[in-house]
Amino acid sequence: MKSVPVKVEHEGKWIPTTMGIGEDRFRINAPLEREILYKSVVDLEGKKNQVVITAGAEGEFIYRIASVEKVLSVLKKFIITQASAYRLNAFFMSPAIRGGVLIQNAQWEKGAIAVMKTGIWFVSQENQVCIPLEEVTGIELTSREIQEKDLDVVKIDHLSENEVVTSFVLCPLTTLQVLYNFLKEATRDTEVSEEIDPLVGQVAMLVYSGMDSSAIENMLKLSHKDLDAIYEKLLAVGLAEVLYIRKEVQLTPKGVRYISETVKSPMG
Amino acid sequence: MGRILIVDDTMFMRTLLKNILFSGGHDIVGEAADGAEALAKYRELKPDLVTMDVVMPNVNGIEALKAIKAANPAAKVIMCTAVGQEQMVKLAVKSGARGYIVKPFQAPKVLEEVKNVLSA
Repeated sequence: MKSVPVKVEHEGKWIPTTMGIGEDRFRINAPLEREILYKSVVDLEGKKNQVVITAGAEGEFIYRIASVEKVLSVLKKFIITQASAYRLNAFFMSPAIRGGVLIQNAQWEKGAIAVMKTGIWFVSQENQVCIPLEEVTGIELTSREIQEKDLDVVKIDHLSENEVVTSFVLCPLTTLQVLYNFLKEATRDTEVSEEIDPLVGQVAMLVYSGMDSSAIENMLKLSHKDLDAIYEKLLAVGLAEVLYIRKEVQLTPKGVRYISETVKSPMG
Repeated sequence: MGRILIVDDTMFMRTLLKNILFSGGHDIVGEAADGAEALAKYRELKPDLVTMDVVMPNVNGIEALKAIKAANPAAKVIMCTAVGQEQMVKLAVKSGARGYIVKPFQAPKVLEEVKNVLSA
């Protein structure tokens, strides 16, 4: 087992220690003194310079480990390829589209995919990409032209740093269908089942594109009250959340007097 | 900042693109609702860049792109495709498109792509 320096979270504090990374297990030394088989891991979350590992049949053991990316990368690779998860060998392209712009140097990578409790992991020789399931905004079984042939792929839309990103997975159709069904089930909470009025849909599209309230009012010739009512509909069906509340004001007589005096003064 | 011609058969998408590009400091010199109108406006206005929808009535975006490139081989055209029409990208590449945006799109990314194409 190769020993590497890490920090682990213990009783609310980050404690420096060492961790052994083996072929089928990893070991966290004092103060935790725990040995964990990769196959007992049920979830893995990746954050900047740290991972959160959930292990045990009931997910009862949670380990937070911080280290340099090189160490975490080795650990993640062992976990993703051995953990208790729906896993398959596939080609993936992630990201392929970012914010609606095709990434021209995006390439298919050969690797493995693991669908864990809270996220989908893509792992190849060079890359490890995690898409948290709560960030998935769409799953579609579609076709894509690859080497002059139309091949079936699963398209996954997801949020990443406030941008909408699209990734593709390519594997044999039967496996693809299983993956698609699995992901559909795992992301059922964010499916849109409500009828959406076309005007409400247009407003949603403009919000998606980054337009603010006054731009939306101008574009769709809506009054402030109309737009507020549409926002309420979006909020009610869970398609939007309140970012902040802004006030519109008008000047009082005191305010008008201040402005009048300002323009009269030499400084005005 | 560039002088841009927006080509899309839906007014909603034209207005959206116009707002996004205007917010990025670009000058919207014209709009067209199909490929034939796009070619006519391109010849008349000589924009620095065209954003071109792929699926349009009469003359579609790919045909309009080819006609614009025939009129000016140095023309800078960004194609707008809907999700699922990515296969069109290869055809657009062969026809000389410089960039691609996929609907629905987000303003910062559109402005980034426009900037890249204009400065290329």
